[in-house]
Amino acid sequence: MGYDVGRFCGSVDEELICPICVGVLEDPLQAPTCEHAFCKRCIHEWLNHQPVCPVDRQTITSVQLRPVPRILKNLLSRLTIMCENQSHGCSGIFKLDLLSSHLIECEHNPKKLIPCEQGCGFVVPKDEVKDHNCVRELRCTVQKQKQKINELQNQLSEHRFLINDLRRETSLLKEYMKVMRSTNPSVRAIVEEIERDEVVRWSNSLPRARVCRWGGMISTPDEYLQDSIKVALVESGCPSHIIDELMDNSHERNWPIGLKSLETRQSKRREYEKYICKRVPCKQAVVVLQIDNPLLDEDMMVEPGLVMIFAHGVE
Amino acid sequence: MANIASQRIKREFKEVIRSEEVARCSIKVELLDDNYSQLKGEIAGPPDTPYEGGKFLLEIKVPETYPFNPPKVKFLTKVWHPNISSVTGAICLDILKDQWAAAMTLRTVLLSLQALMASPEPDDPQDAVVARQYKGFPEIFISTAEHWTNIYAGGSRKKEEYSKKIERLMGIGCNMDQALVALSGCNWDLDKAIEQIFG
Ligand SMILES: [Zn+2]
Ligand SMILES: [Zn+2]
Ligand SMILES: [Zn+2]
Repeated sequence: MGYDVGRFCGSVDEELICPICVGVLEDPLQAPTCEHAFCKRCIHEWLNHQPVCPVDRQTITSVQLRPVPRILKNLLSRLTIMCENQSHGCSGIFKLDLLSSHLIECEHNPKKLIPCEQGCGFVVPKDEVKDHNCVRELRCTVQKQKQKINELQNQLSEHRFLINDLRRETSLLKEYMKVMRSTNPSVRAIVEEIERDEVVRWSNSLPRARVCRWGGMISTPDEYLQDSIKVALVESGCPSHIIDELMDNSHERNWPIGLKSLETRQSKRREYEKYICKRVPCKQAVVVLQIDNPLLDEDMMVEPGLVMIFAHGVE
Repeated sequence: MANIASQRIKREFKEVIRSEEVARCSIKVELLDDNYSQLKGEIAGPPDTPYEGGKFLLEIKVPETYPFNPPKVKFLTKVWHPNISSVTGAICLDILKDQWAAAMTLRTVLLSLQALMASPEPDDPQDAVVARQYKGFPEIFISTAEHWTNIYAGGSRKKEEYSKKIERLMGIGCNMDQALVALSGCNWDLDKAIEQIFG
């Protein structure tokens, strides 16, 4: 609805008055043929009641409304108006087109947002400051967040449930494919691809490791040490079809020629730097996977990869 | 009351007060409450009509949704007219219904009512009895409307014959309004009027 005529300095030309609200035109639009002008909000509200011009009842619809001519806009923008917060102490007088930018920063606007001085972190409309209670507001926020957390927890347990279901289904499918692979070569190819993907996913989930003391390598780990590494591999999600082979390859008797004896190990020391190693979580051990190191010489690598255990020196 | 409605009525009230029609005593409005939702209107019966010389009071209720919906207007003064109920004062006028337009004002409404009094539209009646008389017995309609104007609105024209018939009915226990409505509706046939009231 338009601006109250009483807020303007001097008289306002009748041409600039909206016939619906009898205020000074705000965001004016005009009817297509008769060119009667109205505030945007006023005319849209009226057209919800009847699709005719409010002055002469010619048929019009919302889409036919047009912007008013520049001359009318200029006349409007030249009017001077008092700030609407005059009753709250603002004495500002502005050209109509500058009013909106003043209202945003008007110090006397009772709805101006100001940060709470007690430090609760809320911004409060000026006229609500006296009723503002930090404890109540914060409590309310805590309550809302609690609710949110509950919702999220419910979602989480639903998802867990779903994941378990999917896992069960997946393992059944794997069993099924295992049976199938022995009889059907194309299934075998699919299974191999799935297994390869599993290894890639697992490898990507492990952090890169840097061995800074190759001399600390334990080439003949005992059973107890091997078991603890195996547990760590299982927990990190190592695919079951490679875990036993990997553990076999944690002992120098299964290592490639380039690592097999102390002498070769010493002479090949430089080559070790080329290994792309992944950390076995929480252990002084790394896995060196074939898929991570496709370019290495045969005498430095075995399928599907090897495990190296250290006394110290893994980062 | 919605801001826009009271804003409008404030302005329209002033418009009527300053109008030349007020200067000629042809229309008048009065505020009945502080929030501009109830007004009393008055229109002078148009010259050269049976309503000439009468003052007709109107009840004007301004809805919250004004001016998107028309004001609700009815006659408080009883009037004999095809488009105005002789019993309730309800008005049948298109601009107070579906032909309302938001730019119309109290002044245009009052002037339209005056125009309606000067030229009835019997084919779109509010009061079927009056409309039938208007079409079938135009002279009786005119004298009846004048008589009503004399009794209720202060007009000067009346028929002695009508006054006597009313007195006769009042003599046998009718009140004045009852007698007038019955006689007017029966084209002043006394027997029919008695039959209608007591039969
Ligand atoms: Zn407007
Ligand atoms: Zn128009
Ligand atoms: Zn201001």
